[in-house]
Amino acid sequence: MILVVHRLVRLVVVLLVVTFLSYGLLNLLPGDPVTQILGISATEEARAQLRADMGLDQPLMVRYADWLSGLLSGDWGTSYISRVPVADELAERLPVTLELLVAAQLVALGLAIPVGVAAARRAGGALDQALTAMSFALLSTPVFVLGVLLILIFAVTWQVVPATGWTPISVDLGWNLTSVLLPAITLGCGQLAVYARLLRADLIATLQEDYITLARARGLSPRRILWRHALRPSAISLITAVGLNLGALIGGTVIIETLFGLPGIGRLIVDSIFSRDYLTVQGGVVLISVGYVLVNFLVDVVYAAVDPRIRRA
Amino acid sequence: MRRRFGAGFWIATAWISLVVAAAALADLLPIPGYDETLVGPPRSGPSAEHPFGTDGLGRDVFSRVVHGARVSLGVGIGAVVLGLGLGAPLGVLAGYRKGFADAVIMAVNDIALAFPSLVFALAVVAFAGASLRNVLIVLGVLGIPAWVRLIRGATLSFAEREFVLAARVLGVRDRRILWRDIMPNVAVPAASYAFIGMAVVIVAEGSLAFLGLSVQAPTPTWGGLINEGRTLMETAPHVVLAPSIVMFLTVLSFNLVGDRLRALTDVRQSGLEPARQSAPLPAGPGAEPVTGALLQVDDLRTHIHTPRGTVKAVDGVSFTLERGRTLAIVGESGSGKSMLIRTILGLLPAADVSRGGHVRLEGDDLTRFTPEEMRQVLGRRLGTVFQDPMTALNPVRTIGTQVTEPLRVHLGMSRKRAREEAARLLASVGIPDPARTLGRYPHQLSGGMRQRVTIAMALSCGPDVLFADEPTTALDVTIQDQVLRLIHRLREERDMAVVLVSHDLSVVRQWADEVIVMYAGKVVEHGPAEQVFARPRMPYTEALLQAAPRLTDPSHHRLRVIPGRPPDLADVPPGCPFRPRCAYAQDRCGAEAPPLTGDHDHLYACWHPTGSAVAGAPEGAESHGR
Repeated sequence: MILVVHRLVRLVVVLLVVTFLSYGLLNLLPGDPVTQILGISATEEARAQLRADMGLDQPLMVRYADWLSGLLSGDWGTSYISRVPVADELAERLPVTLELLVAAQLVALGLAIPVGVAAARRAGGALDQALTAMSFALLSTPVFVLGVLLILIFAVTWQVVPATGWTPISVDLGWNLTSVLLPAITLGCGQLAVYARLLRADLIATLQEDYITLARARGLSPRRILWRHALRPSAISLITAVGLNLGALIGGTVIIETLFGLPGIGRLIVDSIFSRDYLTVQGGVVLISVGYVLVNFLVDVVYAAVDPRIRRA
Repeated sequence: MRRRFGAGFWIATAWISLVVAAAALADLLPIPGYDETLVGPPRSGPSAEHPFGTDGLGRDVFSRVVHGARVSLGVGIGAVVLGLGLGAPLGVLAGYRKGFADAVIMAVNDIALAFPSLVFALAVVAFAGASLRNVLIVLGVLGIPAWVRLIRGATLSFAEREFVLAARVLGVRDRRILWRDIMPNVAVPAASYAFIGMAVVIVAEGSLAFLGLSVQAPTPTWGGLINEGRTLMETAPHVVLAPSIVMFLTVLSFNLVGDRLRALTDVRQSGLEPARQSAPLPAGPGAEPVTGALLQVDDLRTHIHTPRGTVKAVDGVSFTLERGRTLAIVGESGSGKSMLIRTILGLLPAADVSRGGHVRLEGDDLTRFTPEEMRQVLGRRLGTVFQDPMTALNPVRTIGTQVTEPLRVHLGMSRKRAREEAARLLASVGIPDPARTLGRYPHQLSGGMRQRVTIAMALSCGPDVLFADEPTTALDVTIQDQVLRLIHRLREERDMAVVLVSHDLSVVRQWADEVIVMYAGKVVEHGPAEQVFARPRMPYTEALLQAAPRLTDPSHHRLRVIPGRPPDLADVPPGCPFRPRCAYAQDRCGAEAPPLTGDHDHLYACWHPTGSAVAGAPEGAESHGR
């Protein structure tokens, strides 16, 4: 119980820091929204007027508190550029990014678990070495390089999938899956390498345990021992990584969405940066940061479900 | 050194050197300028003149890639220096001082790690302006938390080592300890991470550049080149491929060098099954199968090949065992008892182990069995209990799942039948409320209860032989007796044979019919229990018996110990292995290993057996010799 309270307090602190930094950093940095809206030639009075209208003459903490209460009540501000409420814009884009993230994690985990198990079964064997080399190469491939290569192979040369574009799930499921396939594989491959290596290392450690030797002494098959006895106690690091890597994955979505022309949050942030759409960038960064922190909090909770030893604590 | 790093390391180092040299000397190289247009026909493929071809404006792609390396490497080095420069002192402070400083630094660090860093870098660069300096600072600062964590971990692990603690106790000044003892040890992980960090930063800079948020045109960057090249993918793929491949190779090289450096401190790993099977040891002459014997072990040997030499963990052990009898195997830790059990069961730790000799179960040689055949015997006919019940049960599976598993796998019971049978088994080993226990996890049971569960599991398929490897060592004295009594009772009920491994002679005295004393992987004495205890012949057995404290000893009685240590099994001295510790040793003991001989069924390996008519006299021993 104390642990739950402790974690919740920590969560709130982290969320406050994250939102404050998102707000504060972008406010303190050079780049004046007033100049953006009115242009360089605006008069000083007009600037001061707008500044007061926007509340920019208030101290930073006051503005932050205002902004935060707006955030909580769903008022994320209205874009200076598109005149669309930021919250609406983000809500429209969110499903695309979420679908991409989920699909990428599925690709990564779906491949990493069998690969990690196969590699750990005979550590140091030919298969293990091949898989280690492959995951090492994947780890060293920047996501945009991999994306370009996959587009070159599958979309340009073989033309089996479209290179860019997005079909929403509500329009056509088949086309939706086709349009998410290549981006998800691109994004998932980097994680696949991370996950497979982690799982392999943890499995190898677990396989040295007495209870595994005893399972062998009971004449159980290697397959059974690996999947039923060793996998779950070895999954802790993997689960942590799934949470922590979400940061890398979200960073990756920004690039993937740009590369494949997907209308998600990442693309919105990049487009808004170039159009100097200050509030939208801020909203996007906050959404991603808060989401990331919350997912990691959830990961802590999932631990307990996987490992009953922690439940006791 | 060369052999330890492997070829990949040196190729990677060469590639990094090449890229660094090309970037440093880019202006001096005889190549066109990076922004000179129409040095060749636009979009022409690789040729002698333009090794990477030309882009849409007829610029030399090779020149652009070489100049792009300047940005990637410059940002990489700068950010790593920044991260190391700020992160290392904080990490050392947290790891060495611990306490408050550690708590504060790590709390801030955890929060910093809770940020999706690329998104943040993106936002900061977007608002602060996309310049080399800004990109470098942002990526450097974002790298600090990882550095702090790494350096703190490394410092912490060394700050607790004996030599550092000793220095602190001696009053050596902290600064001196840090520089002399801790820094050199932290240097390897730090160097390793410097390379991996370079790879991370190069990718991050590339990502920003790909989005157009790093150093601005006309200065070429790798990410920017790849982004530009995308538009020509259908007509001139080399424009995008050239920087992609160079970037991949560079990142790969940095990762590889970092990984190999890190591997310097790693230990060797093995999996579930050996990657390579070691050749079996040449079979000895092989005794004739003894008819009527349940288990016959014949000249069993296990040699482990280590970098220090071959360890003869089990060296020529033979015995036979009949139903309804208990064989005890005793010896100090490291005498080869547990290895013997694992060798019999074929459960040797994976690689670099050779096995020789025979194990016959009712005449069938188990050493010739395939893994599949062996699995039919293990669990079904041979049951096993290990020393530590805390580690013998899988912590994440319920007792029920674990106890029913052999029943379902080996006996093909339905889930329901297996559960009923499991409850019956648990009751038979004296577990109260078996139905509820089935739903529990191991950590919810006491040590004694857990050991009862592992015994129930070992007995579930009605084995012919139960191997109990120090089944009571990890338990309280009162529980010990209950568990041994239980094993004895079950032996009687089921007419099995028991192989009881123990270093505790009081355990053996009470329950064993026959005793084997092991020393340095060899059998040094073997005989009926009452004879071995009443009249030990090998001085080692005698010493073991004297070393065991007895309740009948007067209080404040001086505890006898065996002087010295067991020999290093990779380097066993010639002659009798016990000679250096033996009170009766004479010249011959150091020269010639005594064979295992004796009268009737009481065997011993000693030139000068104790308890002879003329104890220690050469003639007495000679008479039992060859």
